Amino acid sequence: MALRNIRVMGDEILTKVCRPVKENTPKIQQLIDDMFDTMYDAYGVGLAAPQVGILKRIVVIDTDDNPMVLINPEIIETSGEQTGQEGCLSVPGKSGEVTRPNYVKVRALDRDFHEIIVEGEELLARAICHECEHLDGHLYVEKVNGELMDTPDSDYMEEE
Amino acid sequence: MIKVNTREIVLDILFEINEKGAFSHQVLKQALQKYQYLDKRDRAFITIVTEGTMENLIQIDFIINQFSKVKTGKMKPLILNLLRMSVYQLKFLDGVPAAAVCNEAVKLAVKRGFSPLKGFVNGVLRAIARNMEQINYPDASEDLVKHLSIVYSIPEWIVEQWIYQYGAETASRMMKGTQDKDHRLCVRCNTSISSVDECIRLLKEEGVEAERHPYLEEALLLEGVDYLGKLEIFRKGYLMVQDVSSMFVAKVADPKEGDYCIDICAAPGGKSLHLADLLKNTGMVEARDISDYKAELVQSNIDRSGFTNIRAVVRDGFLEDKDSENKADIVIADLPCSGLGVIGKKSDIKYNMTIEKQKELVKVQRCLLENAVKMVKSGGTLLFSTCTTNQQENRENFEWLKNNYSLEPEDISEYFPKELGVQTGKKGYVQLLPGVHKMDGFFISKFKRISEE
Repeated sequence: MALRNIRVMGDEILTKVCRPVKENTPKIQQLIDDMFDTMYDAYGVGLAAPQVGILKRIVVIDTDDNPMVLINPEIIETSGEQTGQEGCLSVPGKSGEVTRPNYVKVRALDRDFHEIIVEGEELLARAICHECEHLDGHLYVEKVNGELMDTPDSDYMEEE
Repeated sequence: MIKVNTREIVLDILFEINEKGAFSHQVLKQALQKYQYLDKRDRAFITIVTEGTMENLIQIDFIINQFSKVKTGKMKPLILNLLRMSVYQLKFLDGVPAAAVCNEAVKLAVKRGFSPLKGFVNGVLRAIARNMEQINYPDASEDLVKHLSIVYSIPEWIVEQWIYQYGAETASRMMKGTQDKDHRLCVRCNTSISSVDECIRLLKEEGVEAERHPYLEEALLLEGVDYLGKLEIFRKGYLMVQDVSSMFVAKVADPKEGDYCIDICAAPGGKSLHLADLLKNTGMVEARDISDYKAELVQSNIDRSGFTNIRAVVRDGFLEDKDSENKADIVIADLPCSGLGVIGKKSDIKYNMTIEKQKELVKVQRCLLENAVKMVKSGGTLLFSTCTTNQQENRENFEWLKNNYSLEPEDISEYFPKELGVQTGKKGYVQLLPGVHKMDGFFISKFKRISEE
């Protein structure tokens, strides 16, 4: 298991547009594994490659014990609306209310570079939108309704 | 992306309540205030799982102990509370898949530093999820007390006390009654401000459905209130939140115009304000309580009503009050009690009360009553009430008052609707019981003070 450093807001790299992935290489596979490890370690439900400093169009998502890799994702359809809380591993300790589509359909390559179509509702739809925006250099804080809130300190340990 | 973990919030709330002895409604209120930015669904989930877990704690622990080698008494507190909230979801919540409950619990165990126990958490919860329908609860014919205790999550000593004081059949109805949930909010209309029909109309304008309570003309049951403070009609003082059982206090006291009334334990002021309302801008109600905080609570409700015939006063009911002796037309003694009449709404009470505390409370009550009696003028009224079912605090104190003071019980049957079927009203007291009457458990009695000679 290899953990990579999560870049936080203020880091230039989070504002850059990522490049499409052209071919499947061992390095890409390693990156995907590391991204999952990093995401799970930080109790995230989604992570985009620029968040670990790599400007490639790759995201990993796991909202319901269904790990998913989306390479070169393109959102091809959205509908409905949902408003709810969102947080980001690159904006630690904060959360904010964001309105997103309630349904999205995305076309992408899976980790074996086969084309897939993924449909998601509610949390999964939210995560797909959130992660895809990272690939174009955007953070959810740009879309927050009202103000950013402080979230509970999530890594304190149980006192015995 | 990170999602705010509502289950972790619930876990922290339960830990505060069960391991640090905090009051559940307070911790929950604080948490909901802190996380008011969460959406409605998340907030509802936090409330339902917290309250539901606390209400059903004894049954939940019984279930855990059927499947765990380590018994609930020996578990790490964090793991115990994690299992409790998970079992609640498995047993009582539709629409949350069992696999999700187990997975989330395992993740939370790991997150909170208990990775070595993730197999244990997973194993126990999956076994419970698989066998939920086959659990053998103690049989009523073999051990009635244990059976009722586990089915209704009421400590065995309360089950025993109810069976002893009211008989097995009534006790069973009472226990069932503690689980009856009327989610509607009971409010009282200040009829000196506006008529009940007018209140119903104004509520409707603000989108709230109000139904008249069958037992009392000024009581309404409200449907669809998200946050009461938002309602214009509430802010203007037309309404007070009060359970119907406690509205009987002022009704039974039955003040006449110009009466001087003292309420010795008034906070939050519902009964005092009801008296002031019935006095129709005449007389005076002195709403006393022991601390600044409580008096301020009363004052804020007085301010909202705009009534001028009532004042909030900080005064300790344990201390003699020579100045008030023989002064009051009516003294209301709605006393601190073991609260067993309201355990359906406030589940903390059933886990925190003990027989020893009940005995202490009887002493406290008699001390307060002794001072209260002295304030009643000759021919005046003493009203003694509690929100418990315990006869030592109710009937026995009633007898004690009758035998030790120049007090004569008054017939109060006329104040209660016939359908309640209370037969003791003629003797001067009424005991209302959860499950038997459609309201909180409550005891109420009325005396007239007669001159000494």
